[in-house]
Amino acid sequence: MLHLPHPVIGRRPLFLGAAGTAMALAARVPVRAQPAAPTQGGPPGGAGGQPSAAIDVNHARSAPIPIAIPDLIGADGNSAQLGRDISQVITNDLGNCGLFRPLPPASFIQVAPGQGETPNFPNWAAVGAQALVIGRAEVQGGNIRVEFRLWDVLPQAQIQGAAYTTAQSNWRRIAHIMADVIYERLLGEKGYFDTRLCYISGTGPRDRRTKRLAIMDQDSENNRFLTDGRWLVLTPRFHPTRDEIAFMSYANDRPRVYLFDLQSGQQSMLGEFSGMTLAPRFSPDGSSVIMAITSGGGSEIVVVDLASRASHRLTDSGAINVSPCYSPDGSQIVFNSDRDGDQQLYIMGAGGGGAKRISFGSGKYATPVWSPRGDLIAYTRFGGAEGNFSIGVMHPDGSGERLLAEGWDVEGPTWAPNGRVMMFESQSRAQNARGAGYSSHLVSVDITGFNQRIAPTPTDASDPAWSPLGA
Amino acid sequence: MHGEDRLGHSRAGMPPALRRGAIVSTVLHVVIIAAVLIGIPIVQPPEPPQETAVAMVFAGTAASSMQAPQIAQVPAPSNAAPAPPAPEVTQPPKPQPIELPPPPPPPPPAPPPQAAPAPPTPTPPAPTPPPTPALAPPAPPPPQTQPTPPQPNPPQQARPLPLPPPPAPPPPAPQSATSQPNPTKNPAANSQALDNTLEKLRQLAEQKQPPKARYNPQAGGAPNGGGNPLGNDTAALNADQRGAIGDHVRPCWTTDPGMLDLDKMQVLLTVTTDPTGVARQAVVAPEDLGRVAADPRLRVFSERAVRAVMSPQCANLPLPQSMLGKTNVLTFRFSP
Repeated sequence: MLHLPHPVIGRRPLFLGAAGTAMALAARVPVRAQPAAPTQGGPPGGAGGQPSAAIDVNHARSAPIPIAIPDLIGADGNSAQLGRDISQVITNDLGNCGLFRPLPPASFIQVAPGQGETPNFPNWAAVGAQALVIGRAEVQGGNIRVEFRLWDVLPQAQIQGAAYTTAQSNWRRIAHIMADVIYERLLGEKGYFDTRLCYISGTGPRDRRTKRLAIMDQDSENNRFLTDGRWLVLTPRFHPTRDEIAFMSYANDRPRVYLFDLQSGQQSMLGEFSGMTLAPRFSPDGSSVIMAITSGGGSEIVVVDLASRASHRLTDSGAINVSPCYSPDGSQIVFNSDRDGDQQLYIMGAGGGGAKRISFGSGKYATPVWSPRGDLIAYTRFGGAEGNFSIGVMHPDGSGERLLAEGWDVEGPTWAPNGRVMMFESQSRAQNARGAGYSSHLVSVDITGFNQRIAPTPTDASDPAWSPLGA
Repeated sequence: MHGEDRLGHSRAGMPPALRRGAIVSTVLHVVIIAAVLIGIPIVQPPEPPQETAVAMVFAGTAASSMQAPQIAQVPAPSNAAPAPPAPEVTQPPKPQPIELPPPPPPPPPAPPPQAAPAPPTPTPPAPTPPPTPALAPPAPPPPQTQPTPPQPNPPQQARPLPLPPPPAPPPPAPQSATSQPNPTKNPAANSQALDNTLEKLRQLAEQKQPPKARYNPQAGGAPNGGGNPLGNDTAALNADQRGAIGDHVRPCWTTDPGMLDLDKMQVLLTVTTDPTGVARQAVVAPEDLGRVAADPRLRVFSERAVRAVMSPQCANLPLPQSMLGKTNVLTFRFSP
């Protein structure tokens, strides 16, 4: 993956908000230790209160965790190669997320200890490692057995250990699962490496574009095309629990929402509606799909029960209400609407009604997506003073708005299942009517605004959708 | 000589009433001692219920064991059956990781508990202390007990007189040694003599009034109303010294700025330093153990704090000279 410079921080620091600004400054501004301020959510340091005499250490730096991942040990040639491959996948996963700093193997003082041996911790501490992954891989016929231990180097303690047995063809997924385990143990939140990305692949000249539904692992491996490109397809969305994708297709020149079963490859139409159906999303429990249906000059938000295929309209404002998305607990819906003139973001209850506007910035807001963590809503903003597109986040009450990416055309954010990373599409400007110089690719960014990376795809790519963990 | 005269005069002049009292007191003491000696064999703790032997196989850390079911629930190889040939659709291979019991943890430094036939694991080497930076001043020799000069025996000004011979014990009562002639005044249900006695002592020791003692700074009283029973030495540092130590550790203190609720996090560590001022051990303070155990994010936060203070770059704490040469226990408060 390519490492892109951050485009926003230098240009519009005011939009970074307190978190981003504090993070950017913390590493450079020496601050004298100060007594810690009272924190929210109960008294820290125990229920009773604080010790009056404590040494305060605050204003932490933002830095990735240095981790050593030597090759997993293998008893024979095949096993050793498998161990190297798995270690490489883990190294790539952890390094690309920006929260870990895998140490170069050339710096290691010692090779990985053997089976059952305790690492020589001073040797690993000397190279700067704070965490150490030691493992073993074994090829047993068509199956593999992989085990690993995660060590905390400075306290000299094992903090995680697991073993897996599976078919050899699944070795990449095992590596991703191991990376997720390490991520969760060292960061306290679920990982996102054992996930997939669905997107719209684009090929051919811009005036005769062929768009196909495609899917790949989050690290761009195992890319496959799901549709043949005869019909335009848009806005794929993963089912939260089943191996299923909802998307919009112009099959027979009629835009409708379809369901694609990834297990069987079968497609089915969600239902016949009087108008165009747009921008489908599953509810958090997967029992229904919420989408927009054109009605007269506007569009309304409708929820469709997947079992009965019964639909229920949630808005009736006569305006353009589109891009609905549930909150993680399913109690609220965010969408964008022009009911007040400009296209802005609104939140309403899951049953409809009581819509409340949450965005008030310049320009227009679109494609809101609620973070799986529930703390942020990502959106696309366009227009405004600069005229560019931008990707931003805000709290569900509209506060804390900050931009994470900006460009000639960036849009369509989708969240990783842990709510820590998002991906969006970024298009470059075409130089002529035939689309020379035009390209479209997927870009991931951490919610702090750092670590923007292009996700390689075999073709142009747009409309990304991130799968749940383990899907 | 003066005292000897006084004591002798007192014994010779003991009035009969006092003598009777002394005899009665002696008899009562003998009776109580006899009762205790007889009662002790009776006071036997109830036999613990016989434990049922349960065979356990220890298979790795608790955390990884807890994750096993989750990982095992990864979809079975349903894709093993070829999917219906959809046009241009290739089924993604569905991996089926099968969770095995995690590998056994490394052998603890102490002899392992008699838990299970765990796979043989070598005993880890004893934790090697991190290299001590050369910045630390040489540790002064540990204080040794000064040999006390021989004290000349002072002339004994007063020599206590030998105590009078104890009165003859009363004749043994004609009663069973296992029976109590006098019933207990307030027996507790199913109680035994020693329990009753201890319970009475507890009731007598119960504090029913607030303490009247006050801390007296003029007399060198400790601040905040008393000393630290845990032996924490942080109070011996002034604000500047604490600030200097915090400044020293700060370069090693890192967090993940994207962590949820990071701004609400704070943790106390108890750090033990060696006589040269190097942090040798850092653990979560007892008052924060519950919160840390209940919150995975706070646990990670506290682990990063431990790494900060144990880091070779920051473990050599700038303690004042007066605190070197001995082990110190300090309290650190880490916040974002």
